[in-house]
Amino acid sequence: MDTVRDVLIWIANNVFGQVAVLIGLITLLGLVLQGKRIEDIVGGALRATLGIIILFVGVDLFTGGLSSFQTIVSSAVGLEPPSSDNTLDDFLASHGGTVALIITLGFALHVVLVRVFRAARYVYLTGHLMFWISVVITACLVEAFGDLSQPVLVVVGAVLIACYWTLQPLWMRPFMRRVTGRDDFGFGHTTSSLGLLTALVARPFGDPERHSTENLKLPRQLSFFKDVNVSTALVIGVILLVAMAFADDRVVAEAAAAYDPDIDPWAWGVIAALRFAGGIAILLYGVRMFLAEIVPAFKGIGDKAVPGTKPALDIPTLFPFAPTAVMLGFVASTGTFLVLLGVFAGLGWFTLVPPMIMLFFGGGAGGVFGNAVAGWRGALIGGVLNGVLLAVGQAVTWGMLGTTAPELATLADPDWYFIAWLLIGVGAVVPGVWPIPIAVAAVTVGLLTWLSVREGRREREERERAEREAESAEPAEAGGTADAATAPGAAATDTAAPAGSEEPPRG
Amino acid sequence: MSASRPLSVLTVCGVGMGSSLILKMTAEDALRDLGVEASVQNTDISSARSMNADVIIGQGMHTGELAGIAPVVVSVDNFLDKSGLAEQLRGELSGQGWL
Repeated sequence: MDTVRDVLIWIANNVFGQVAVLIGLITLLGLVLQGKRIEDIVGGALRATLGIIILFVGVDLFTGGLSSFQTIVSSAVGLEPPSSDNTLDDFLASHGGTVALIITLGFALHVVLVRVFRAARYVYLTGHLMFWISVVITACLVEAFGDLSQPVLVVVGAVLIACYWTLQPLWMRPFMRRVTGRDDFGFGHTTSSLGLLTALVARPFGDPERHSTENLKLPRQLSFFKDVNVSTALVIGVILLVAMAFADDRVVAEAAAAYDPDIDPWAWGVIAALRFAGGIAILLYGVRMFLAEIVPAFKGIGDKAVPGTKPALDIPTLFPFAPTAVMLGFVASTGTFLVLLGVFAGLGWFTLVPPMIMLFFGGGAGGVFGNAVAGWRGALIGGVLNGVLLAVGQAVTWGMLGTTAPELATLADPDWYFIAWLLIGVGAVVPGVWPIPIAVAAVTVGLLTWLSVREGRREREERERAEREAESAEPAEAGGTADAATAPGAAATDTAAPAGSEEPPRG
Repeated sequence: MSASRPLSVLTVCGVGMGSSLILKMTAEDALRDLGVEASVQNTDISSARSMNADVIIGQGMHTGELAGIAPVVVSVDNFLDKSGLAEQLRGELSGQGWL
């Protein structure tokens, strides 16, 4: 028995505890399942594994750059830098395997939900956020409930994430249809709360037709900001150099000497900002590398398991609908964030880090959603709201993740903050971890049941009306909309679905 | 570029992770429909500048800046429109004598 136990412990430590190995194996399995050729399987699995290794190098560089940035800016405004007992790097090293398992099991549960409920029509495909939001949920569970065992963390995390991936594109659907004017893909991004808020707040302020951003002309000089590598290096660099001018000389000299004893502090400032941006670029490169292997595998599995679904996609798919609104929203959100950075420093609060990626994409999305309901004023409001949410979110959330991975607060989108506040808040009042996934799953299933029944009834009524109106013609569109319920094999899983949604489409 | 090696194609977006990956899958399907052998990679606009590709595909807001980086630069609006992209590529690739 002891040898069995030893083997299990060895596997736990060296496979499930090592995110690179685990991701490599998951990719391998996905590629084998899809019947890929041997060279594709080996290459894909190795690229995914290397991607994770590179991601860790990037995170290491990023957290180092972040801490020197905070030290200097804190010294300039006369505050203590925010403290933490742990870093993202350590957290991923200890819990990365758990995150990988949550993504995998969570995606499987998500596909099951989409398969069972006809109203849940979107398969979530924004891969990097599948990774990051799983990290956030794992960190919040550990913060709220201490170190749960890996199987418990995986099951609880997977249930929560599957519900989120299923519901999030649904609550964005009405606004997406307004923006895109069609319904062939959904919005799968952790900026959804900003989208909802913008759509609600901006509505009274203008008219989408009369005040449309696309009638405006913006200066071309802003265009280089679209490259987030460039804008991160530039904005962080300017803030760091200005802060150095006001900071304690000894603090600056110490930080510079830690990098290179012979370097001039000002030269160090420039290098430090570039290294920060470089760290993010490497981190993104690693994420890109493993996603390029895993997402197509997930998509292949999703397409096979639930034919006829629509993908929920990343923010840039919205950008062609209102490119000027994107720039307007981005500029407004960056401006708002920088103003709040000054205000918060004046109040003696936490030292903020401008997250250029989230300011660009979140601001851009706020701009597009705002423009769709209220024209250029809406776009400005969306951008400003994004800046406010990111600044307040960062200031509030850093401390909440102090014992796990506080850096997550600086890489975050609005939904990350809301999820963290909810989970940690609820965790403080419930006795154990289980009530949370059970309640979330119950609410999700209830909502999906209700939506599916309602949709089924509406379709039936429409079909009956169409049949009455044109007795002779074969209604082609009715066949299309009922596909999900009549697809071969659907009957087996549909028995688990509520009575309303499994009614035969012909009534 | 000759018929002896696969066409090297880049799909680009702001950070090269989300929409460029979706675009990569669409582009792979479109190129297969055209019968063109190609290796498609997704990346961000910074990296795209340093990668020698035959074809770059991306949104107008990015391809505007990438003109001249590759012999063929295609700009798309709809990331899922396989047949639309295939038509655009057919025109461009024929223009280069690659199809």
